Amino acid sequence: MNQSTKSSAAQRGFGPGNRGGMGKPVEKAKDQKKTLGRLAAYFRPDLKYVLFLGLAVVGAVAASVIAPSLQSNAIDNLVKGAFGEIPGILAAMLMIYILNGVATLLQGFFSARLSQRVIYRLRGELFGKVISLPIPYLDNHSHGDIMSRMTNDAENVSNVISSSLSSLFSGALTLIGTVFMMVRYSLPLTLLTCVTVVLSIVTTNVMSKLMRKYYVRRQQLLGKLNGIVEEKVSSCKTVTAYNLQAPTIREFNEASDEMTKTGIIADVIGNAMGPLMNMINNFSFVIVAAFGAWFALRGMISVGVISAFIIYSKQFSRPINELAQLYGQIQTALAGAERIFDILDAEKEDKSGETRLETTKGIIEFKHVNFSYVPGKQVIHDFNLKVESGKKIALVGSTGSGKTTVINLLMRFYDIDSGEITVDGMNIKNIDCDTLRDTIGIVLQDTVLFTDTVRNNLKYADRSISDKRMIEAAELSNCDKVVAALPDGYDTVLTGAGANLSQGQRQLLTIGRAFLSYPHILILDEATSSVDTRTELHIQNAMVELMKNRTSLIIAHRLSTIRDADQIVVMDHGHIIETGTHDELLAKGGNYYQLYMTQFAGNAT
Amino acid sequence: MKLIFRFMKKYWYMALLASAFMIGEVYIDLLQPRMMAEIVNEGILGLSNGGKSDLNLVINTGIRMMLVVIGGGLCGLLSAVFTNITGQGAGNDIRKLCFERIMSFSFSQTDDFSTGSLITRITNDVTQVQHLIMQLIRGLVRCLMFFIGGSAALLSLDMSFGVIVACAFPLIIIDVTFVVWRTNPLFTVLQESLDRLNNIIQENVTGIRVVKAFVQEKNEVGRFDEANQHLVDTQFNVMMLLSYLRPVMNIVLNFAVAGIIYVGSNQVQKGAIAPGSVMAAITYISQILNGMMMLAMIFQTLSRGLASTKRLQEVIDTQSEIRQEQLPMEGDGTRGSVQFENVKFIYEDNGAEVLHDINLSITPGETLAVIGATGCGKTSLVSLIPRFYDAAEGHVYVDGVDVRAYDPAELRKKVTVCLQKAEFFSTTIRENIALGDPEANDDEIRKAAAAAQADGFILQQAEGYDTVVAERGMSLSGGQRQRIAIARALLKKGEILILDDVTSALDLKTEAALYAALNREYSDVTKIIIAQRIASVRNADRIVVLDGGTISDCGSHEELMDRSSVYRDIYHSQLKEEEAL
Repeated sequence: MNQSTKSSAAQRGFGPGNRGGMGKPVEKAKDQKKTLGRLAAYFRPDLKYVLFLGLAVVGAVAASVIAPSLQSNAIDNLVKGAFGEIPGILAAMLMIYILNGVATLLQGFFSARLSQRVIYRLRGELFGKVISLPIPYLDNHSHGDIMSRMTNDAENVSNVISSSLSSLFSGALTLIGTVFMMVRYSLPLTLLTCVTVVLSIVTTNVMSKLMRKYYVRRQQLLGKLNGIVEEKVSSCKTVTAYNLQAPTIREFNEASDEMTKTGIIADVIGNAMGPLMNMINNFSFVIVAAFGAWFALRGMISVGVISAFIIYSKQFSRPINELAQLYGQIQTALAGAERIFDILDAEKEDKSGETRLETTKGIIEFKHVNFSYVPGKQVIHDFNLKVESGKKIALVGSTGSGKTTVINLLMRFYDIDSGEITVDGMNIKNIDCDTLRDTIGIVLQDTVLFTDTVRNNLKYADRSISDKRMIEAAELSNCDKVVAALPDGYDTVLTGAGANLSQGQRQLLTIGRAFLSYPHILILDEATSSVDTRTELHIQNAMVELMKNRTSLIIAHRLSTIRDADQIVVMDHGHIIETGTHDELLAKGGNYYQLYMTQFAGNAT
Repeated sequence: MKLIFRFMKKYWYMALLASAFMIGEVYIDLLQPRMMAEIVNEGILGLSNGGKSDLNLVINTGIRMMLVVIGGGLCGLLSAVFTNITGQGAGNDIRKLCFERIMSFSFSQTDDFSTGSLITRITNDVTQVQHLIMQLIRGLVRCLMFFIGGSAALLSLDMSFGVIVACAFPLIIIDVTFVVWRTNPLFTVLQESLDRLNNIIQENVTGIRVVKAFVQEKNEVGRFDEANQHLVDTQFNVMMLLSYLRPVMNIVLNFAVAGIIYVGSNQVQKGAIAPGSVMAAITYISQILNGMMMLAMIFQTLSRGLASTKRLQEVIDTQSEIRQEQLPMEGDGTRGSVQFENVKFIYEDNGAEVLHDINLSITPGETLAVIGATGCGKTSLVSLIPRFYDAAEGHVYVDGVDVRAYDPAELRKKVTVCLQKAEFFSTTIRENIALGDPEANDDEIRKAAAAAQADGFILQQAEGYDTVVAERGMSLSGGQRQRIAIARALLKKGEILILDDVTSALDLKTEAALYAALNREYSDVTKIIIAQRIASVRNADRIVVLDGGTISDCGSHEELMDRSSVYRDIYHSQLKEEEAL
């Protein structure tokens, strides 16, 4: 049930060298077509932007394809000595360049707009989904993983949409346009250029295989190193307390050295791509020049065509290299998108139920309830319990006896396998879940506070509650003293999920929060375990007034917390083994008596 | 910058080699257009050959050019090798030094930085600095060489091309400066809004039960939506600003090309240069201006890298405040005694006085319990003994020696603290216990675990002592975590054992068995126990009642029952019905 709250190392990370996406390990989506189709659906509301983007790309590509031909025309005239023609051609060139610039700018604008709108929707939908997921889903999936889907994967998808999409489109168009122009000028030269393209594709392939091997290795070492940093820095108090600095530093240095070694090899291979491509490009140049000259000698083409070809052959190989890189990026993004869709496809929490529970008398009844988290491993067995209105019930038992599970079931965090739970005689399955939870105030074992002011944390249930009532609740829960010690009182912003408070102080705040929601049913699950017993007693006394005619359900290890309960339920392995008041149970001399006597036994000698 | 040079010193010859090879690569890159021009002028156009193409010249020069290019490629490769050795090597050194520093920080220094920030520094910032170093060696040299060499080559073709460079240059600088100047502050905003969004996600995922229990899904979605919108807007602004960069650059670049052709055509007309040189000039001008564009990128890395450098410098400059001081080392001959003398402790974060007028003497082998209200300073009190924090006033002595006189590692060898919040590493239970003494053998580990009442449940785990602790110990229950942590502390075999409220999740029977084992097997160890329950403390030799930041009373259970009203209050809050029984 407990999940790690650590922020995943992936969020920060050392980040790879970021040279050439093709070398990075590429993960593949299981069903690329389907994922692509779903992703495409997110563009539907912004179809007009897609259209504008397409137009801008067409404009930019057209301009960049036409420009070299003008340039070659100018050179032709230069060679021919027709100098009078040149200014006119240059003017046309400038027009084309300006068109190209404007189109590129528009492309940037539309692609930014489009990607931000799509990612806004996707992220919003994802968050909306996560927050409405049933608790079992969140309990069974690593929080780090869910976090990484919402941040890393969404970011990847967004990047691909913003940059790769228009690059892909413009790359493909440039390729088509260039080939078209080249073929128009000279088919033989075009075919020759293709030879070098094949060469560059083969080289890229071989190199990326080699690169991938080292990048994967480096990625693993990086993960290991990040793991050490994350673990050892956040546990540095333990490291210090146990004098473990020396071995820890040694371990870190070894991992760091190893990563550096692999990193150097990986990056050198990555950096070799540039010179290699340069060599191939120049090879292509020599081929175009040599054969161009030969063709020119035989009068098949004009000299200007050669200069145009030199530009075209460059323009031709660039999108091919880019597309190879994009392919990797798009695959990574698709894998990310698929993980996002996994969450979006998960079943929402079933909150159905027609009856709205506005107020309640707080009569709770468990009838023959059976429950298991994992099928076959039953946790709650034929659980029967009736809680009368306005009573204080305590659940006692050792760890794993199923106390918290009972609360999970009552809150409908989990649904029971069989039997029935009723509130005021109504099956909670038929009660609108929101209204059910609204009537219940709960203080959980994990003291969750939000990065916000103390005031907003206390008024979490309802911001419109007056300050006067907030202060009353703070006094009742004894957290007013905690607040008084804070630099800005109720306006102090709690940082890092309340890390600037001690565990006991955080518990007091969460109790204050629950008091302020003024619930008809109050659940305290180990709510005061870190609070000293005197403070706890004050809270208990305050609760007597607060909970008049209201039902409370308390789980605690400390007997002092539960001794006053109207009914004490002793649980063991999902069964109720004893119920009664403190005195009755003591008189009975059963399990509770045993438990109580250990406290004495601890005291006696 | 100081930091970078300091760490590059070790690699200076590597850096030099990297730069030299880079110059070689650029030189060859600049040679190429010249050879291309020769191929076009002499080979294809046959200018000195009466307009007849010379295929042989094309092929010969072509082969020469290929060879030169291969040489250039080799230079590029070697430059990459040495650059990476320098950059990643220096980055590695910085990373290791930072980690070592962090490990030596006192608790208050760690609190000041916050662990999250330290992790970011040692991961992200080191990467940034690494990029910075590599950019300085490679990028800067490359750009400058392209600019200087390219300009020289261009001007050597014809001086009149200089006008074009002179016109294009300021335009590019203006464009780059504008974009960098406008985007840089936005990057900070972007990072902040991204952090905010991630924080909301994190809080909601981890606090989902609270969100649901308070039926706050709608409000949380609203909160997220606001942050999402903010992030998207900022991101859009950044992208828009950045998208100005390229088109403007392209226009300038292409205008410059047109300018070259125009100026070139005039010069060709005058007969000053050959048409092929115009083509070479076109290549040179694109190389020069591309170099300028790269320079712009380098400036971006530079400004980000410098910010990271500053953040790392802070870590490196922070000397651990817990250092051995020159104080007398003569002890009083005891093993396991602790004295507090007029101790005052102030929490540095907010200047709040936590403890004052603490005077306390603990004798070897004694069991001393500390009890008191939430937030009264119990943890602070014991944290002064192993010097996790330093007292603001007064002295703390261990074995008669001021704690500040000890080498901190020596002191912590004597003093074992079992921390309130047990931290686990993702390894086996055995190794988590062995943190207390990495040399310990299995018998010793089992013995410590047995005394900590942990042996039983550990053996029931799927793989016993070899069970891997998942998700930082969250796979274990609170009581199990506490007992493993106690076993770890017992294994360390210090003279003084401090248990900081580590039995709160144990049922009383287990706790009683633990104390019995402690008294039986660790009788000569001085034990300081913080607890909430009277049952946990009443067997102690003495109990310190901490109230309002000072010791309100100290004595045995019976004595305190007799004379301390605070203690009696605590007692009654827990056991008020005991008398009635």
